[in-house]
Amino acid sequence: MTATLLTHLPVGSIGGAIEFIFQSQSSSVTGGKEVGGLTQTIELALTQLEVTVLAVALSMAIALPIGLYLGHRGVGEALAVALGNAGRAVPELALIAFMAAVIGVGLFNVTIALSILGIPPILTNAFVGIRQVDRASVDAARGVGMTEAEILMKVEMPLAVPTLMTGIRGATIAIVATATIAPLAGVLTLGDYILNRNVYGEDGVLAGAIVVALLALTLEFALAGLQRLLTSRGLRLRPA
Amino acid sequence: MASLAALALPLAKVGEVGKDFFHERSSETLSCQANPDKLFCFEWAKDNIDRYGTPTVQHIELVAISILAGFAVAFALALLAHRHHWLRTPLLAGTGALYTVPSVAFFFLLLPLTGRGRDTAIIALSAYTLQIIYRNTMTGLANVPASVKDAGRGMGLTGRQLLWRVELPLATPEIVAGLRIATVSTVALATLAVFAGGGGLGDPIYDHITFTTNIILAGGIAMLMAIAFDLILLGIQRLATPWLRAARGQA
Amino acid sequence: MPSAVRYENATKRYGDSTTAAVDRLNLEVAAGEICVLVGPSGCGKTTAMRLVNRTVELSEGDVLIGGESVRERDPARLRRETGYVIQQIGLFPHRTIAENVATVPQLLGWKKDRIAARTTELLALVGLDPELGGRYPAQLSGGQQQRVGVARALAADPLVMLMDEPFGAIDPINRERLQNEFLRLQAEIGKTVLFVTHDIDEAIKMGDRIAVMREGGRVAQYATPAELLMDPADEFVEDFVGADRALKRLALMRVSDISLWEAPLAHVGQATAEVRAKLRGAEVPYPLLVDSERRPLGWLSERDLAAETVPAQPDSPLGPLLDLDDVMRDALADLLQGEAQYAAVADRSGRIAGVLSVEIISEFLASPAAKTEEHGAVERPHD
Repeated sequence: MTATLLTHLPVGSIGGAIEFIFQSQSSSVTGGKEVGGLTQTIELALTQLEVTVLAVALSMAIALPIGLYLGHRGVGEALAVALGNAGRAVPELALIAFMAAVIGVGLFNVTIALSILGIPPILTNAFVGIRQVDRASVDAARGVGMTEAEILMKVEMPLAVPTLMTGIRGATIAIVATATIAPLAGVLTLGDYILNRNVYGEDGVLAGAIVVALLALTLEFALAGLQRLLTSRGLRLRPA
Repeated sequence: MASLAALALPLAKVGEVGKDFFHERSSETLSCQANPDKLFCFEWAKDNIDRYGTPTVQHIELVAISILAGFAVAFALALLAHRHHWLRTPLLAGTGALYTVPSVAFFFLLLPLTGRGRDTAIIALSAYTLQIIYRNTMTGLANVPASVKDAGRGMGLTGRQLLWRVELPLATPEIVAGLRIATVSTVALATLAVFAGGGGLGDPIYDHITFTTNIILAGGIAMLMAIAFDLILLGIQRLATPWLRAARGQA
Repeated sequence: MPSAVRYENATKRYGDSTTAAVDRLNLEVAAGEICVLVGPSGCGKTTAMRLVNRTVELSEGDVLIGGESVRERDPARLRRETGYVIQQIGLFPHRTIAENVATVPQLLGWKKDRIAARTTELLALVGLDPELGGRYPAQLSGGQQQRVGVARALAADPLVMLMDEPFGAIDPINRERLQNEFLRLQAEIGKTVLFVTHDIDEAIKMGDRIAVMREGGRVAQYATPAELLMDPADEFVEDFVGADRALKRLALMRVSDISLWEAPLAHVGQATAEVRAKLRGAEVPYPLLVDSERRPLGWLSERDLAAETVPAQPDSPLGPLLDLDDVMRDALADLLQGEAQYAAVADRSGRIAGVLSVEIISEFLASPAAKTEEHGAVERPHD
């Protein structure tokens, strides 16, 4: 497809999009510079994956200890629930824009911004997951002489895995979705294709959308599998 | 790479976003923007709050229509799955996939089909709500005690009567809880509707993406809207379940 | 009397299993009778009961209500004509008590005032304050909830009542109360009842006729409680009824069936000399303190009588207070429980009717009168 054709088409076609993913082509805007192609696509996808993973890791590092501790002690339910609700209310575009303006652009700063999105679901689910562990199991563990830390690690956490993983999955999906608009803050993810039609063309836009969707679905699928792996057989056998 | 993105931004904006009222008074905004350390210019906010009127109304419209449509579809699907058990797994997976696909990507995947504009945004936003409403409706129905259903059937309620007079009312708390989560999420997500040309509070944000007062105002309005909707739905839930109030009061 | 419910080779098979849950059941329940289906768990008694209102569908055979086959009725309409009471009660949590009771009348399209009147009538009938009509089930105790369950089942004046372990989830004290009250109710309204239980004692207490079942819903014996206790058909029935058959006979009698002893009565402020005079030659060696309405307050001891006048506070507490309507077995249990030698018996209005003791009971059981009376004990003792 030539550059001239690109500017005349109102929307991209799937065929064109797929071609865009794999074959680099010249763009009309940047004076015939090559855009698209497998290398760039993969690079952008990896960047999106990278920032997602980092942000989720950061969210977990902050939210898990707090959520698990509060859940184990049984305090702060109002806080945990309110945080979960509030977290969902954060407007993604405003968050990215605001953080970019305040703390700056770049991978590091965007990671921090995205982790803000991830903390509420992980914290709430960590709290709830621990709370809904059968009290009898916890009592028995205490009675056998386990320390509080041991109870948390060996009894409560394994039993809370399904709820915990659900929270982590939710956080991941929210983060990878918002990472799509990270180009607004200087981190070039697949959103770059989508947000810059004039550079990448309609085909590029569609290509970006397709790859982002595939990336998100793959992540979700992988995490679902991971959850199944981590859930002990005993829990899985329960009639859900 | 970053400079390229910075260049691309203003170019991408041309002719893409809806109402562009900031450009008229750009000199005023620049005077506030001239002071980069000021996070929030209160005077500017006071003077210009009216500019957010239209985006706010658009935002409310986006959310309301998306939620209503999403609820209608998800509820219908849940009723179907309640009757025909084999539908449960595929529907859960299907609505899950729609939830997983990032909205921005969804907007542009819909582009060849529905073009730019509010409809695209609404379709994508509705699709996002399907999973939570569907799942919560199913859970709510599943939590109806078997003894209540047994008694109902044994007394001569038909399947349909049992569903509408007993099961659904008892599932209301769970269903409304799902609706609340969906609504709050949609309010937040609707800020991205700007990328589909759908308007909303994302418009002012994207138009002046480095102007923090603007971001705080628009973002703040969105968050307040989310909280307001949440509380309204909570109120509706309380009103619709007098028996739970009674149990709480008496116990 | 025409049979109200008749099973004709009724069979229920689940899936493709060769063994039937209910295997060619043949049973006739007379109108106005309580027929109890009793047996070990899994014997098919609940399944058999549910065949009547088609909450379980027949595989083969038929069930006839008033001569009409249930197969030919629309299930939903059929069920609106049969009362249905289950163990877990199953009141609709989201509806008020009144709305719950009104369920079937509403389905049948009754007018609002007729429903309201009927609801009030029924709530009173099951011993509940009609004011409770505006409350929700969660605000009632288990015993109260099941009363509502019974009221709800009776609302549309059904031909047949199906009751599946209705009092099973209630605590023992309230269970006894509910059983007694249901029997009183039955005496008033005379419904045809199919009552399922696994408790032989409850069966004997409640049933006009009892069908003892083994697996496959096979009836080992179908007889009156008295016949069952005195003439068990085979070893299975004997084992199921229990080795304490003799004691179980006490379940067939009421306190009112026996002639009670008289206790010398004393009033507060009465001269103790008078009371002491009454004591001489009395059947019960202790005076009973009663109020102006002849309601028992307590027992007087030697110390009490040492004073000039009868004190207001008796030394010994009243202990177990029995009712004329109490089933003899329960009365004996209360006596033994309270470790009392004598127990005051009151009538419905709470006034003293006599005194019961373990001695009286054993004397009566040993007497020739008891033996002949038992043979004729087919009718439910009613007041």
